[in-house]
Amino acid sequence: MNILQTKKLKKVYGSGENAVYALNEVDLQIDKGEFVAVVGTSGSGKSTLLHMLGGLDRPTSGVVEVDDQDIFSLKEEALTIFRRRKIGFVFQNYNLVPVLNVYENIVLPSQLDGQIPDAAYIDSIIETLGLGSKLQNLPNNLSGGQQQRVAIARALATKPAIILADEPTGNLDSKTSLDVLGLLKVTGQKFSQTIVMITHNEELAQMADRIVHIEDGRIVTG
Amino acid sequence: MNVSNRKCVRRLSIRSMWAAKSRNLIAVVAIALTTILFTTLFTIALSFNHAFQQANFRQAGSYAHGSFKYLTMEQVEELRSDPLIREYSLRRIVGMPHDVPFNKTHVELGYSDANNAKWAFIDPVEGHLPAEGTNEAAIDTRVLSLLGIQPVLGTEFTLTFQVDGEETTETFTLCGWWEYDSAIPASNVLLPISRTESIFDKLGTKGEDGMTGFWTMDVMFRNAINIERDVNTVLENHGFQNEDSYMDNYISTGVNWGYTGAQLSGSADPITVIAIAALLMIIVFTGYLIIYNVFQISVSGDIRFYGLLKTIGVTGRQLKRIIRIQAMSLSVLGIPLGLLAGYLIGVQLTPVVLSRLDGVVVDAISASPFIFLFSAFFSLVTVLISCRKPGRMAARVSPVEAVCYTEGSSGKKTLRKGQKGASLPTMARANLSRNRRKTNVTIISLSLAVVLLNLTVTFTNGFDMDKYLRRMASDFVVADAGYFQVSSGWSDMSVGEEVIESINEQGGITAAGRTYGLTSFVQEFVPEEYFRTKYSRWYSPEELDIVVEDHEKLEDRLADDAQLYGMERFALDKLGVVEGDISKLHEPGGRYVAAVYRLDDYNNPELDSHWAQVGETITMRYVDELEYYDPNTGEVSRDGVSEDIPWALRARKYHDVDYQVAALVTIPLALNYRYYVNYEFVLNDQTFVQDTGTDSVMYYAFDTTDETNRDMETFLRDYTENIQPGYDYESKETYAAEFESIRGMFTILGGVLCFIISLIGVLNFLNAILTGILTRRREFAVLQSIGMTGRQLKSMLIWEGIYYTLGSVVVSLLLCLATAPLLSSALGNIFWFFTYRFTIMPVLLVIPVFALLGVLLPLVSYHFVAKRSIVERLREAEN
Repeated sequence: MNILQTKKLKKVYGSGENAVYALNEVDLQIDKGEFVAVVGTSGSGKSTLLHMLGGLDRPTSGVVEVDDQDIFSLKEEALTIFRRRKIGFVFQNYNLVPVLNVYENIVLPSQLDGQIPDAAYIDSIIETLGLGSKLQNLPNNLSGGQQQRVAIARALATKPAIILADEPTGNLDSKTSLDVLGLLKVTGQKFSQTIVMITHNEELAQMADRIVHIEDGRIVTG
Repeated sequence: MNVSNRKCVRRLSIRSMWAAKSRNLIAVVAIALTTILFTTLFTIALSFNHAFQQANFRQAGSYAHGSFKYLTMEQVEELRSDPLIREYSLRRIVGMPHDVPFNKTHVELGYSDANNAKWAFIDPVEGHLPAEGTNEAAIDTRVLSLLGIQPVLGTEFTLTFQVDGEETTETFTLCGWWEYDSAIPASNVLLPISRTESIFDKLGTKGEDGMTGFWTMDVMFRNAINIERDVNTVLENHGFQNEDSYMDNYISTGVNWGYTGAQLSGSADPITVIAIAALLMIIVFTGYLIIYNVFQISVSGDIRFYGLLKTIGVTGRQLKRIIRIQAMSLSVLGIPLGLLAGYLIGVQLTPVVLSRLDGVVVDAISASPFIFLFSAFFSLVTVLISCRKPGRMAARVSPVEAVCYTEGSSGKKTLRKGQKGASLPTMARANLSRNRRKTNVTIISLSLAVVLLNLTVTFTNGFDMDKYLRRMASDFVVADAGYFQVSSGWSDMSVGEEVIESINEQGGITAAGRTYGLTSFVQEFVPEEYFRTKYSRWYSPEELDIVVEDHEKLEDRLADDAQLYGMERFALDKLGVVEGDISKLHEPGGRYVAAVYRLDDYNNPELDSHWAQVGETITMRYVDELEYYDPNTGEVSRDGVSEDIPWALRARKYHDVDYQVAALVTIPLALNYRYYVNYEFVLNDQTFVQDTGTDSVMYYAFDTTDETNRDMETFLRDYTENIQPGYDYESKETYAAEFESIRGMFTILGGVLCFIISLIGVLNFLNAILTGILTRRREFAVLQSIGMTGRQLKSMLIWEGIYYTLGSVVVSLLLCLATAPLLSSALGNIFWFFTYRFTIMPVLLVIPVFALLGVLLPLVSYHFVAKRSIVERLREAEN
């Protein structure tokens, strides 16, 4: 069953002769529980694709459906709420809120949604990611790998339908990269999450269930 | 090593400045506001000084720098070409009238050239100076009214006057007149030179008094900095001197004390100096608060940029220079704006401030270049101080740190307690503590405005009309203008019976009375202790011993000049009785007196200000004739006094009268002599007239019914302006008006100060919120990408605004409470009509305004951010 699919997704910057097709009629289906790596060189359109999937940016044309819901039919405010319930983000530079401690960062999305965090579930995420001893630390006191693990925990906290990871290991050394990706994959399986990861690193992409290659705004294999 | 890199640094500075447009705007406005405060202050202060000096000049009779007196024409010719003298004027005295109606007024006839008339404030407002070869004369309105003629040009009048001991009567034609100014000591009748010559010829005047017929040359030097030195230099240049009057080359000189007097009083009055210094400090501080904050915030925002510059080899010193150049460039824009606006405000405010000063007329607002120089200087200093610390901060940053610097992350804090998770308010609070300095400065700057507002309100509310009116004991007091004039004081300027009659004819008077002033010479006999107290101001202890030793005595008491009042019942009833029974004074001709205690500003009697005790019998010595004698030999001087013997003065013909002291009293300020020299006694009117043999009415005081009050006021105003300009009056109403004008002045000044400072506070607030939002653009994008709705983001920002507001309210409340005791005593000490009433109403009233700002400013600022999409903002920081 498709948890996420795009239909003729198109994003054009500029117009006329200067038109740049960041995405050109992309059709992509992702099943529930799948771990998909999107691989492409810089400028291939992979980040744009991820932003579209997460509803951060609106396409020129085409449709993105998450859980059979056309997300761009939603108004801005509703889209944000949909996003915080269905989608978790993991960014290359972690993007933790500097004034909040680790625990507060993790539960922030569910609190923004006005929910009481599922304590048992959160505890098991924290345990899985090995963050137990760091809960009261502020982000500036953590290493890159630790920060990214917090970001992953935050992405998982609302039990979203999909986790979208944008170069999650881009700022990490190769050993830490493998560790973090391993954790991402393990937690994904453990909490039965669908993961879409963007990377330009073919080797890391090998850890995914499926690799989608993107070039000049088009999917070449997948 | 000196590398020519200044140009490059300047280019960097200017380029990076253009990148921060909103900061520039706020900084320019901040600098301009600071400059406005300075300029306004200096405009008022210098105009004040100017007006004060003008008042001094009027009392001195001229604004010429100096004068050379009693010159021959040859001496004038010689001196006037001196290079030090910029301008000169000539005056020549002919004579003075002494007969009624001029027996009580000092009037001089003489020639004044155009410069002299201008400098001495005797330029005709109507008509012109007398023309040569005519019988024209120009006079002031007081002489006009004394002569009883209307100010109509062409009117003929006759004057009898003394010229060097000879009396003559002349007829003149009125060719011009000007308003009499009660501050100017003498009245003038101006004649042309030709007329002075013909009078001298007719009388064969030789100038035996050393004045008549000679010339007085007033001069203007390049500046008034050292007039005395300039005067002496001019004398020396031409072989004259002003020390030994027996030498042939002696020339008497004068230095206008109006110049030195103004400077002295300016520097000698500590309260004024402290007040101005305190105001300057507040302005520098306020300016510092915002300009510092603007630069501090902008530097922490641009820290990555500075880190980048450092990695490519820009030194810390150059970074400081970059920031300084930016600050200077912004000053170049902000300071002139502030100077202009501040001067305009100052021009509006000065008359308000000066209107309450007696005898000081705002003839011109100072446009001294010093206003602008000082203001620009102080603003620039404020700017430079303000950008020093941000400059150091930029200079200190290490390139690597700078790259991963986010606002507040430089703090040592690594832990944060609590596992409840973050609500919007707690996030907002945490956000404010990122840059504590910024938050604190913003809160302080807002609080300062509130505290000042509270201060102004406390201040003006505390002005106590009842206390103020206590010094005015009757509804009206009418007297010769000189009585009310601080500079001259009352001396035998009797209120004519015809004046009292005209007043009584108005009706509505419920009670009235004359008070006679002393015009003869009376001595009292003072215990040594009080004698010493009185004279210790003028003599050193050693000198005083000699004076006491040699002084004329009666038993063990020392003879001393006495000051007496002869009061009719009306005034007697207004006295404050400290001890004893005043009713004994009601008996006409009774030999009872009341001794007068002085009042302090707070209307309390000063208990050791008089020596007499109730019940004791004292002696008054009414002196008809005095003689000089040598206290060492007892020899009496028969023919004048030479300076080689320390002559003392004593009564030769006199009669002594004994009185019983019936009471110790205080006299309301409006009913006393208005100057204090001698120990004073009150007698009733008849005893006074009988014993002194004089009946000069010092003032006529009366009460009116409430209904006729207004009519009497109107009558007196017209009467003293048009019919008898030599007279003046005071009323409860004029006092009340004076009170209101003082209060109004402080309200306006405080209001303007509050307004500008609160503008600065709000600007600081706006800047803090706006930059707080702009530097967190990316963070907001992250928050939005993980599911924070725009609404939630906005409410978080509003929470931040509310925390600022709350902080300011709490801080200002604390400050107000802390300063309350200090204020109450300080203000009570400075203003005797002040009653301290604690209030925090202004703080409470400000809360809703601040709350509104706390909500609105974040919402407005958010718009700047929300215009750009999340993805744009997310990407922005990555490059």
